[in-house]
Amino acid sequence: MSKQQCIAMLLAGGQGSRLGALTGKVAKPAVSFGGKFRIIDFALSNCSNSGISTVGVLTQYRPYLLHSYLGTGEAWNLDERGGGVSILPPYATQEGGAWYEGTADAVAQNIGYIESYDPDYVLILSGDQLYRMDYHAMLQTHIRHNADLTISVMPVAWEEASRFGIITKDDDDRVVKFTEKPAEPDSNLASMGIYIFSTDVLLDKLRADADNPNSSHDFGNDIIPEMLASDYRIYCHEFNGYWRDVGTIASFHETSMELLGENPAFDLYTRVGRIMSNASTRPPAFIGPKGKVDDSLVSNGAQVCGNVKHSIISTDCYVGEGAEVTDSIMLPGARVEEGARVVRAILGEKSCIQAGATFGTADEKEEFAVIGDEVVVGKGE
Amino acid sequence: MARAIGLITANYSSEDHSLLTEVRPAASLPFAGRYRLIDFPLSNMVNAGLRKVGVIMPYNYRSIIDHIISSKDWNLDRKNGGLFILPGSAYGSSRESSRFLIRDIDANRSFLEKSDTEYVVMASSNVIYNMNLEYVIATHQESGADITILEKRVDADDPDLWAADIEDGRVKSMHRGVKGGELAFLDTFIAKRELLLQCLDWYQAVSHLDLFEALSNDFERLYVMSWEFKGYAASIFRTDSYYRRNMDLLDPHINADIFRTDRTIMTKAHDVAPAKYEPGAVVSNSLISAGSKIAGTVTGSVLGRNVRVEKGAVIIDSLIGQDCVIESGARVVNAIIDRNNRIPENTQLCGTHEAVLVHGKGE
Repeated sequence: MSKQQCIAMLLAGGQGSRLGALTGKVAKPAVSFGGKFRIIDFALSNCSNSGISTVGVLTQYRPYLLHSYLGTGEAWNLDERGGGVSILPPYATQEGGAWYEGTADAVAQNIGYIESYDPDYVLILSGDQLYRMDYHAMLQTHIRHNADLTISVMPVAWEEASRFGIITKDDDDRVVKFTEKPAEPDSNLASMGIYIFSTDVLLDKLRADADNPNSSHDFGNDIIPEMLASDYRIYCHEFNGYWRDVGTIASFHETSMELLGENPAFDLYTRVGRIMSNASTRPPAFIGPKGKVDDSLVSNGAQVCGNVKHSIISTDCYVGEGAEVTDSIMLPGARVEEGARVVRAILGEKSCIQAGATFGTADEKEEFAVIGDEVVVGKGE
Repeated sequence: MARAIGLITANYSSEDHSLLTEVRPAASLPFAGRYRLIDFPLSNMVNAGLRKVGVIMPYNYRSIIDHIISSKDWNLDRKNGGLFILPGSAYGSSRESSRFLIRDIDANRSFLEKSDTEYVVMASSNVIYNMNLEYVIATHQESGADITILEKRVDADDPDLWAADIEDGRVKSMHRGVKGGELAFLDTFIAKRELLLQCLDWYQAVSHLDLFEALSNDFERLYVMSWEFKGYAASIFRTDSYYRRNMDLLDPHINADIFRTDRTIMTKAHDVAPAKYEPGAVVSNSLISAGSKIAGTVTGSVLGRNVRVEKGAVIIDSLIGQDCVIESGARVVNAIIDRNNRIPENTQLCGTHEAVLVHGKGE
């Protein structure tokens, strides 16, 4: 291990319970997205593209798929000597073991990992957001301000501001107030949950927080308010690109659908800041003689013999003859068999809608229909 | 531990020097959208458990090296063994009709000597199949044969493939040019490693010959067994067969046979997003590789990676190489468009089913 200027700690342990059936078997960062990606690909690719080659990934909930997907980090060019990806699950010591109790606690339990790289700065990321960002630019902002903490913020619509953690700043971009979901916001800058700490400050704060029995050990709830109260140098770094939290079924569906249409806001096809993934090597998609695909994404390994409209068909999916898939997302390996109909639905990995069955409804007043991984829906169910 | 090592001859050209093989060795011809021909012998060997595979390079090796240097995509980034890039014997491509030139093998004697496996699997890179080679190796081992050649009964005459005359399962002679209904040599064989080394000594004086030409005097002495493969196999030596064998993959049965999920064909990984079908796209009966964006009409065709088909463009029964842009109003029918081409607005590039139009590699 060699000294690094900046390392990343990627929070990937959350269950993501608001994703319902999709996280029944896998952790939220491992949920498939955009046909061939998994949600964590975006943060890992950003790290790689920003020149941050040492990434500790904090895992906890159902980590098997996530661990095997991460592997050595080679898929994101993060298999470097003296750094690279390290998987950091909760562990036991001579004093016993404990689960990660909050985002700050997860990082605090890995202070030894951080110290081993002796970084000047630590980037804290969460593994459940979709965006393309140059963390190096944010680091420059942090260094320029000689800050203790820099928070990445983005302007949101005023009427939506009360859904976010809102940052109020002064003319020098210094943070003066942080309010979680304010009823009457006085700023429209939302915290993106992306932080750069100067390492000494971070370690001090984490140790103090660990000793505080009243703390929930969370960066947003505990560490940052405490630092604000103690007059630390906290600055913000404004981001103006596309950013989505894909933490709920509704936002997952909406964000997925935003990949479709002409000129989508998030460009998966640009060669700058490319999103990398550890996808398996599969043959080109086969569109059958009676297949029809309109306004959709279709991944390699898929076979489409039916009618697909405004949908995302992931790797190795199958749509049988006479089947219809509309306004839906099929996760890898999902099958919609002959004559089945799927509307406004999310089908988990390797799930199956059997021949002739119907799943989901076009009625927009209804919620999206969702089935988890490997679930089978038969006709008449 | 693997019982065999692999040796692939990638250093010869195709039989007709079309625009496609002027710019690259046959082994790096694109196939099925995202693959190259060399992926097939490599994958078959790796799927049979081989973890030491040598590839004999042609003089114009750039495209092959670029493709296979990421040996990890075939699990060939091994501490022991792995992928070996080997020299060919001569300056140019090997003689056209030859796939296993003795002097090419002889030039790599040390690759064979410095191994401890009992067998060698040798293959060319012009024949496409997905085969359980592990089983064939086991069969060879049990049979006691000196050499087992893989064969397949062909429907039509093929002047480029070798045929074997067989009596009681033993090969009696071999000749170039196979007739419909006969067994054709799939340019893949299994031999004892020691025997192959011995052959190099025996045939030192005739090292300009193909191994099987040289062996033809010794079929009485050596037990050369034929093993018949019943699955799909396709040889690609000419532009016409290149086109048709690509189109074969639009047959779901052939597609499923080649791209089986229990033995995947591996290739260099690329980070490209799923293919995007824009509103109004019309696509049927086609293979569409990732990274492509389609707003026009595509039918009966195979598209490589990152192809752009603009609104109003029409592609029928054609092969489109990676990174091509087919502009609005262009019409491509019965054609092979090699990679990196931009087909301008309202251009017509039409061949016929009998005479496919070939548009060479772009800038």
